[in-house]
Amino acid sequence: MGNLPLALFRGDNIKRVIAILLVTVFFLTSCDNNESEYKRYDAQFLEVFDTASTIIGYTKTKEEFEKISQTVYDELKTYHQLFDIYNDYDGINNLKTINDNAGKSPVKVDKKIIEMLKFATELTEKTNGEFNVAFGSVLQIWHQYREHGTDFPEDAKLPNKQELEEANLHTDISKIIIDEENSTVFLQDSLMSLDVGGIAKGYAVEKTAQLLEKEGTESILLNIGGNVRAIGNRANDNTPWRIGLDNPLDKTQIIKTLSISNTSMVTSGDYQRYYTVDGKNYHHIIDKDTLFPSEYYRAVTLVYRDSGMADGLTTYLYNIPFEQGKAFVENLEGAEALWIFDDGSIEYTEGMKKIIIDS
Amino acid sequence: MKIVKKNDVIIIIVTIVTAVLGFLMYNLVNSKNTDTKVAVIYYRNDEIKRINLNEGKEYEFSIDGHENVVFKVYEDGAISFIESDCPDKVCINSGKLSMTGQSAACLPNMLFLKIVDEAEQNSDNHDIIV
Repeated sequence: MGNLPLALFRGDNIKRVIAILLVTVFFLTSCDNNESEYKRYDAQFLEVFDTASTIIGYTKTKEEFEKISQTVYDELKTYHQLFDIYNDYDGINNLKTINDNAGKSPVKVDKKIIEMLKFATELTEKTNGEFNVAFGSVLQIWHQYREHGTDFPEDAKLPNKQELEEANLHTDISKIIIDEENSTVFLQDSLMSLDVGGIAKGYAVEKTAQLLEKEGTESILLNIGGNVRAIGNRANDNTPWRIGLDNPLDKTQIIKTLSISNTSMVTSGDYQRYYTVDGKNYHHIIDKDTLFPSEYYRAVTLVYRDSGMADGLTTYLYNIPFEQGKAFVENLEGAEALWIFDDGSIEYTEGMKKIIIDS
Repeated sequence: MKIVKKNDVIIIIVTIVTAVLGFLMYNLVNSKNTDTKVAVIYYRNDEIKRINLNEGKEYEFSIDGHENVVFKVYEDGAISFIESDCPDKVCINSGKLSMTGQSAACLPNMLFLKIVDEAEQNSDNHDIIV
């Protein structure tokens, strides 16, 4: 035994030692191999849906990720231009074109607009008329006051009730005439207008995610201004994606962490888009019964497979009382929700317990 | 000749022990080094600056060409927008960011700020915080 170190390096022994070392090292490293196959990449852009977009993904090569990222950007940009109600684009008939022609003439539009409006109509039925893309006349007034109040805080004002009530007379969804054969949309009431703010982003995200899934994408997380959509798990260790929810009362803190895979998550909150009048904040989600910002919650988060449905339903849930909302979610297969109240207290559905990570 | 010699066994054991020790050391060094948070700032779709958040210093800065926006780094490793000429001030209202996955945007100025962990992705980290 005493002469071991020397004996190891004598003659043929060296070859043997090297061989054994190699074999041993091979076995020691081989258990680590499956980890290095996927690398994490991310990309951001600020040019679609007037919000910040993040893409995170695990792919084998950078090129693969860049291709996915480009697809997401191109798809979202297309939908953004079609669903825009504020801007015109060369050679494109979009929702603004439809609104501009309200009461005048049908507008020939891309099939994507027809499909989205049909989807929105389904959502209106599901929510007993509560979710309404023909609510534009009322939302427009709030939008104008909010923009003005943001630009000139000392002159921030609230719309008056009468003005809102008059606008509310022009929100009848049955006056949206969709002609699928000719691919046209016509608003019969000249004072009505479409506003798909509560659904457009989520719908576009879902369509984009479905395209990626069809192309074989395995591990991607999209966050388009709070519309989160997960494809697969984190491929490096096959764990679900982890999403932190801001505490609306203190945004430097996380109130809950959710783990999701192959599903969507949408949050509607009063702390994202608002303006201040006489020291009180007025956010952008308007209750169709009061015509004022809804005051039931600080935030509602919904986890549901279809991002477009999740987007619209979150807006709906935000505008209805808790018991009613809870019953609605419990009756909707595959949906789980979490409500955050004014005092920071939280309620959630039974199945949400499995999604929330305790830590 | 025996297929496995006594010395072979010793070599295997020594190699395994060395590997395990090396692995433990590597993990120890890595776990001590948790201060790998970095703030990344983007303009439009491109990264324009990375800031180490572990220097324990408090200072303010602007980025060349974007002097209308001022950022502040705090001693505790947080960062925030503190001045901006945008009308809505959503960026400033986002407050201090310090956790991996947190982000804030100033859309009128096309600036985006987010926190990343430069260490190998830890599965306990948040992918995003919304």
